Amino acid sequence: MAESDPNPEPTLVERWLQDQQQWQRTLFAYLDSMMKNDEFLVHMGNAMRGSLLAGKPYPSASAPSASATGEEAATADRLDKVLFALTQLQGQMADVLMTLEELRGIRPSPIAAPAKKSTRSKRTAAPAARTAKRRRARS
Amino acid sequence: MSNPAAERELEAILAHSQQARAKLDRLHEVLTSTGHYGRGATPATVVYRENKLRLLRLLDESGQPRTRPPVLFVPAPVSRYFIVDLLPGRSFAGHVAEAGFDVYIIDFGTPTDEDRFADLEYFVEGLVRRCVRKVSAITGRPSINIVGYCLGGTLSLLYTALHPATVSRLVLLTTMIDADVKGGIAWVAHQMGLAGESYDEPRLVPAVEIKGWFEMLAPGSNSVMGRVNDLWQRLDDPIERLRDVRTMATWVDDVVPAPGRLLAELYQQFGPGRNRLMAGTAVVGPRAIDCGQITMPVLSVSAAKDLIAPAEGVDAVRALIPHADVMRLPGGHVGIVAGRTAVSLWQRTVAFLSEPARNGILTAKSRRMPRALRGR
Repeated sequence: MAESDPNPEPTLVERWLQDQQQWQRTLFAYLDSMMKNDEFLVHMGNAMRGSLLAGKPYPSASAPSASATGEEAATADRLDKVLFALTQLQGQMADVLMTLEELRGIRPSPIAAPAKKSTRSKRTAAPAARTAKRRRARS
Repeated sequence: MSNPAAERELEAILAHSQQARAKLDRLHEVLTSTGHYGRGATPATVVYRENKLRLLRLLDESGQPRTRPPVLFVPAPVSRYFIVDLLPGRSFAGHVAEAGFDVYIIDFGTPTDEDRFADLEYFVEGLVRRCVRKVSAITGRPSINIVGYCLGGTLSLLYTALHPATVSRLVLLTTMIDADVKGGIAWVAHQMGLAGESYDEPRLVPAVEIKGWFEMLAPGSNSVMGRVNDLWQRLDDPIERLRDVRTMATWVDDVVPAPGRLLAELYQQFGPGRNRLMAGTAVVGPRAIDCGQITMPVLSVSAAKDLIAPAEGVDAVRALIPHADVMRLPGGHVGIVAGRTAVSLWQRTVAFLSEPARNGILTAKSRRMPRALRGR
């Protein structure tokens, strides 16, 4: 007499029911992530546009803002021009500061290399130092 | 009783259901895992800021800068900078830094409304020039190496022609030179109305519009349905591969808006039918561009499957800079810089930056491919 299989192959109906349970788990996993993680919705939105972009929404046309009157638009335009002119000035200032730093590098300032008490210039100080060295060597 | 035909049909439906669920489970896993969030992978410090720009200096594990000569990476200002520093172990700039070079990367940032007035001169003679100047000041070197990618390569080339004494070596990656070679982003932008962009009354060109130009280049990605279908097919891939796709999507899909004045000027000078770089009539502000001034070693790299900057248009650099070392790598515009086989480019670049130069121009011997790349 043949022994009965302890793990019989599930029937088609049983496999169908298992699949339905798996679908429920998948659905709950998505719902759980949506509830717990706001960013997940952004990522889902991107995936629905075919992109796996993370951290920010896929580029899309922004909603049309309330149309500004001609005068408001002109004011905004002037303000933008002023702001951009300021950024250009910022760049020019950076150039000036870099030039000053370069000049300081060529001619070391008293702050960068403190001068000795002697009022003699470097040219005269160097031979004097050499003379003192020679004297010490002789003694 | 049992109906074999109906059972077969149910089996097929069940298999289809299981396959679809597996895809959705994989998608859930990808979407809930930590993605790439638009930052460079290598530790860095900001050494200069101007407007939206940041100049980053890469550091080693102990937080110290490297000691070999400086290399400045100039990415395209219409995309994000981190493509050259994508992931640990998959970073072009990181690879160059690992070789000991003192690496700097320009992050042009995201422009806002007032930046629509920024033109070519602002980028070349303003931002890029001051970054070079800053790097020179930090390192105490009168000339530095520059690596320009895509439109960043165009900016680097123009800068180098204007200030050749400050550049010791120039690397141009997928940088379009001959605009009359058909195809590529310039042609798509031309067909989609870039000619109408106003220099005098510029607008901030929205990211979605620029993204639209890039989407037109890739068949299947220029419609939502096409992209969704593509993603659905990809969900059969292993999870590691999907994470890789997600990382690339974080760069490819994260386009920034662009100053309309810059785009208008680029089109008027370097657009299809204009081609002023090849004609030798390009200008930056009031200054004419003379590529004859570029006598330092130059390496230009094109990508065989580049849809954005066709290889023929890139390799045309030979006509402008006859001594340039011109090479073409297999792969696409992004793949050669940050793809799985990008290490070929990284190694070639490090070899080029390490080569001794004689009289400012590469010798025939130094043009040889490094041993690691021979036979590819």
